[in-house]
Parts: sequence; C-alpha cells; structure tokens
Amino acid sequence: MTTQTTTNKQLAASFRDPSGFLFSRSGILYRQINRAYEQEYARLMDSGLYEKLTKVGLLIPHIEVEQTLAEVQEAAFKVIQPERVPFISYPYEWSFGQLKSAALATLSIQKRALKLGMSLKDASAYNIQFVHGKATLIDTLSFEIYKEGEPWVAYRQFCQHFLAPLALMALKDVRLSQLLRVYIDGVPLDLASELLPSKTRLNFGLLTHIHLHAGAQKKYAYAGEEVKSRSGSMSKQAMTGLIESLESTIQKLDWTPRGTEWGNYYDITNYSDAAFEHKKQLVSEWTKRVQPALAWDLGANNGVFSRVVSEACPYVVAFDIDPAAVEQNYRQVKNDKTENLLPLLLDLTNPTPAIGWANRERDSFGERGPADMVLALAVIHHLAISNNVPLPQLADFFAETGKWLVIEFVPKPDSQVQKLLTSRKDIFPNYTRAGFEAAFKAKFTIHEAIEVRESERVLYLMESC
Amino acid sequence: MHFSPHLYLDPGSGSILIQVVIAALLGLGVATRLFWGTIKKWLGIKSKPVEDDDDADDN
Repeated sequence: MTTQTTTNKQLAASFRDPSGFLFSRSGILYRQINRAYEQEYARLMDSGLYEKLTKVGLLIPHIEVEQTLAEVQEAAFKVIQPERVPFISYPYEWSFGQLKSAALATLSIQKRALKLGMSLKDASAYNIQFVHGKATLIDTLSFEIYKEGEPWVAYRQFCQHFLAPLALMALKDVRLSQLLRVYIDGVPLDLASELLPSKTRLNFGLLTHIHLHAGAQKKYAYAGEEVKSRSGSMSKQAMTGLIESLESTIQKLDWTPRGTEWGNYYDITNYSDAAFEHKKQLVSEWTKRVQPALAWDLGANNGVFSRVVSEACPYVVAFDIDPAAVEQNYRQVKNDKTENLLPLLLDLTNPTPAIGWANRERDSFGERGPADMVLALAVIHHLAISNNVPLPQLADFFAETGKWLVIEFVPKPDSQVQKLLTSRKDIFPNYTRAGFEAAFKAKFTIHEAIEVRESERVLYLMESC
Repeated sequence: MHFSPHLYLDPGSGSILIQVVIAALLGLGVATRLFWGTIKKWLGIKSKPVEDDDDADDN
C-alpha cells in the first residue's frame, strides 16, 4: 500500500494520533484534522509558526480543502491537502548526513515552535522526509500548545530515533543505522549505551542523553504514578537548554567517508575518459528520449550518472549499497542545493522490506515503485555472478521495477568480472551477451544496444512489454 | 503534571525524570549566558548579533 494508491484508504502508517490522520482518495493525499485539534491548528496558523516554518522549508506546505472531503465526517474539523513528497524514504535508508540533517531540522523546528508558544508532541524520524533536497517535517499535526513547566514528551523518542543511531554511526560503525530497521521506534538506549565506546561517557551530551537516560529508563520502567508526582517542572529556559544541548551534541558528531569499498570507485575502475564520456552521452540522450517523470539509478555510487539523468528528469533517486558513496552524494546535493536528486542506501540483493504494524506501516522498496526509468549501470555482474541470480530472474526483477531500463552488460572478459571470478569456479555458462539478450527479450523490447567506446561493455535501452 | 489528550506518545517515566534533571542543569547555563549578556551590555562591551531564526538553517 503506497501513498500513490488510488483507492480511498486511510494510510497504514497513520493511526496513532487522535488529532487526525492521512488518507488517500482518487490518487490525492489528504489529512483529516479532527475537532479535538481545532485549537492547536488555529495556533499553528495564527501564531505565524506555519508561515515561518514553510518559508524555510522545515514544514510541508498545505492547502485547506472542502470539509465534505473528510473521511470520517463526525470527527472532522478540517481537511487539508499537503504537498506531495516525490519519493518516500525511511531513516534506515539514509546516510549519516541525511539522518543528521533530519535530527537538526527536528530540533530547529522545536526551537522555533517554543518561541511561538508551541511544542512538538513527537520526534519520530518518520515524520521527516526529504523534499526539495531538504529535511522537512511532514506531520502538520505534530504541534501542541506549549505549557510552561511541562517536560518535552518527545525527548525519549528523539534520543532513540536520532541521537542514538547518529552516535553509533559516528563513533562505532556507520552500518549500525540498520538497527533502525529492526527497532521501529528507534534504537533502544540501553543497547546504544552498551555498544558505544566507553570514552563517550566523557562527553556531557552523550553521557546524559544516552547513558544516564538509559539508566533512568531502566530504573523507572514501572514507576508510573510515582514519577508524575516527583518529577517537578521544567521552565522554558530549561527546555531551551535541553534542546540546545541535544543540538550541540549532534552538531559535533561527524562521519567522514573514507576507504570503504566503493568510495573511490571512479578513481580505480577501468574506465577510460572516452568510455566514461560515451556512457554519459548515451544516458543523457536516452533520458531525453524517454522523458521519465521519476527515475531510479540502481548502484548509483556517488551519483555521477544520476546527475546526468536529473538534468532532463524531474526527480531522480540514486540508490547505492555503500554508505560512503551515499554520503558523498548527499554532501554534493547539499553543496549544489540540488532539489531533484535523492541519494539513498540500498542493497539490491536484499532490498528494504515492508515493516511496522502488520508489516504495512513502512513500504518495501518495490512497493514504492515502479519507476518510469531505471538505470542499472555496472551492476549486472554483481547480481548475476556475486549473487548468483539467473539472468531470467534479473529480467523479471527489472521489468517489475521500472517501465524503461538503461542497463549495462558487463561481459566476462571485463577486468571487473575477472576479479569476481578469481577465487571461484565459473559456473555461469549463460552469462554471455547472447544469454543476456535472450533472457531480457522475454520481458523487454530492446530498443538500443550500443558498445561503449574503449570498453568491452554494452549499453542497452529497453522497454518492458 | 497533566498530560493533554493529544499526547498519544509514551514519553517514558525515566525519560521525564532524567530530562528534568538535565534541563535544570542546562537551564543554569542558558540563564548564565543571558546574565552575562546583560552584564556586558552594562559595561558597554559589544556582543555578537543574535542569530535570525527567519533564515534557513544550514543543516
């Protein structure tokens, strides 16, 4: 079930908040605001907070529509239509930098909200999406009226969804972001506390917000009523101090990609400049010919070909298995202020599954497609040889993933394939150009097959039939 | 402490407690900073311009 569904349905992920919910009707996404939320919504709009946040791209803009469109009339106060997110992505698909941006955006929103008498009632990483290249809050109903003295109810969630995984990625191993796939409400703080190096206890922010926080959670797990009476109040100044502490702790966390498998890919591969330029030229020509609205670059590395596509395509998602490549790509996106390119982490041999309640809250990789055009440059040998996937099954997969396919066949004589075969038996008699074309013709019409200059490789343009 | 009905999220008892403790400590820091700002003004020492929240953050 995707947000692009054309059936009338409440979104599978939108059920926790009594203030309202998202639903889809005739392909349009709406948010119903319930009567219980009337005051809060009024404050959001009248205080100027909505305008301030949307102006700097921190909150998704919306328009108000006919109340008769409400999905559940009795409860409805208003119906709004938010701007669509071109491609939904999840925190376990983000690079370190993207999660950091999402965290800082959340805190920035909270600071601005406090100034205007409001406060975030949750701090879930799933409330943030990348829109126009920036981390943006998509849950318009996340705001409550701030009452001085009240603690931040979202503090626990913020530490689990943002601070813990960022600290683990920066200080232990960048791959630990995948814990977010297993723990749907963020990394448990006791786990983060155990995994983080002990030197992190010397860092005030990590000591308090992770280690001591984990201890307090354990100690007061069953405290309930006792806590309510004992805890005391928190002034606005104290709240501000808390937010700023989280902010500076996160600002100081850094992960610089270096020396991972693909980070220096284009420096060490066997492409001559002529081959590279020829590939870019073909990708550019074919994109202009196909005119896709949404393109996916599978195995995009640092996005060099994704950028070529993005010059003639309104939105491109650049997937790669290597966190260093995705990070590099994202840093360049931020630097260039690119709005139509989204780098994401993806292991093609084990793509993101659907998770959450009833395995339907967060969509799988495939459920968020198909794309109009898919690029599969320099990946086929990894799938067919390293992962032993038979060519016909690869053809099936690509046919389901996108309407048009730009795919590069990397034959056995190519040095990259030779590397993959050095320490294993060659059990791939069908992995030849003829075998490749036969397998793909079953699912595609091959429009073009061009040999890449100064290389053994062949670039194809195919359309699924 | 009364939680409004909109607050569907479980804040966690331990999280509430630790937060109040940390925030109290840090609130001292914020208050001190503001206090020093006032002292500096009295003494005629120029302070850095306050950041304008209307500008987009470089996140």
